[in-house]
Amino acid sequence: METSTIHIEGLSKRFGNNQVLRDVQLEIPAGCVYALLGENGAGKTTLIRILMGYVKPNAGTVKVLGLSPQREPFALRRRVGYVSDFPVLYDWMTVKQIAWFCSAFYSANYSESFGRWATQFDLPQETRIRYLSKGMRAKTALALVLASDPDLLVFDEPTSGLDPLVRKEFLRSMVDLAAQGKTVLLSSHQVQEVERVADHVAILHAGKIALNGELDQLKDTVALLRFSLHDPLAIPPASILNLQSFHCEIQGRSIQLAVRQLSAEAFEQIKNETGITDVQWIRPSLEELFILSTRESQAPPWQASPNKKIPGGNLLRA
Amino acid sequence: MFLKIDPNNGIPIYDQIVRQVKYAIAEGTLTPGQLIPSVRELARQITVNPNTIQRAYQQLQDEEVVESLRGRGLAVCRGAVKQCVQDRHELLRVRLEQVIQEGLRSGLEPEQLSSLFEKILKQASKTEET
Repeated sequence: METSTIHIEGLSKRFGNNQVLRDVQLEIPAGCVYALLGENGAGKTTLIRILMGYVKPNAGTVKVLGLSPQREPFALRRRVGYVSDFPVLYDWMTVKQIAWFCSAFYSANYSESFGRWATQFDLPQETRIRYLSKGMRAKTALALVLASDPDLLVFDEPTSGLDPLVRKEFLRSMVDLAAQGKTVLLSSHQVQEVERVADHVAILHAGKIALNGELDQLKDTVALLRFSLHDPLAIPPASILNLQSFHCEIQGRSIQLAVRQLSAEAFEQIKNETGITDVQWIRPSLEELFILSTRESQAPPWQASPNKKIPGGNLLRA
Repeated sequence: MFLKIDPNNGIPIYDQIVRQVKYAIAEGTLTPGQLIPSVRELARQITVNPNTIQRAYQQLQDEEVVESLRGRGLAVCRGAVKQCVQDRHELLRVRLEQVIQEGLRSGLEPEQLSSLFEKILKQASKTEET
């Protein structure tokens, strides 16, 4: 078994003058739920379509389950399940007919397996796809993919526009697959959902990976330090000046610094300074990490910043 | 046992699971010898990543709160109740400490704080009795 399910190196993609992906590196280990986050237009869908072999990159190496999506797209698609935000299904077919149609591409027990998922999802087997609600349509697409028992599942914005019950069904199937040792890659805007189901995240910003790794570790390495200064115009004490903060937000007397590797000693020292009150150490949420890595970094006024213009740039440097 | 996970409350999800399992044991919702849900079952139930649940279960095993029964799953250890009650009290002490610190910061005198505490305690134990 491969240790990494997806291996991406030096990947670049350009559409005309629009550089969509720039030198992307990513390793996705087997058996995890890996979330790809990014604003609209950050390059998530392009990256996923390259992985599925639908789009050719301009440069770089991509291996999915040890296969090259460009050279072996059919072998790959037999082992990978792909659910997009708007699945394309022949809408004149009934649910039963489309399952029969798909079964031709997979192993003999596909139909039986589809039947089980259809029952679990309450799919109306005799209804034509065109008469299904958006939620039912999405669940049909999911059942079609799950029935093939894929080693890797790729979801592109799977829950956008779905009601809470259908979303729950999607999330549940993701964690269940991971529990069986399969790998799930999903792109999403739903930071809250991602925070529950994903154990790894990568944040794409302007075609580059701004931050990636194990979610719990990322949250442990970055600390948000919040405090109030008695005199907002005075220069803060050395314990604060010495911190290498890469982002600073000031609201009157209150200051929030994003600090990498804040030590317990430094924190205690700051708590005991005179003129500084309400010192809090906040573990960032995924949403905060997302904002930090997609926004221009802002050095505190007392700290000279050589690279002010690189968004998330300081987060990248360990 | 019902777990309530809030990914946004600043406490890592695995830690929330550890705490809530301990609470359930301290309260008697889970009793010694009882099996806890498998990783896969709990992952489905609370829609949380199975590796996160695995991490929580590993910690509970390391702390000897649960033990592995070969082929059957994880069960609550015999001596776990006492420890879980202690752990719960410790978490309570930390929360109380935070409240007291906040009270002092807000300008209350220690005497005022302690009479406030006495008053609330008296009210609370009255409603407990009825």
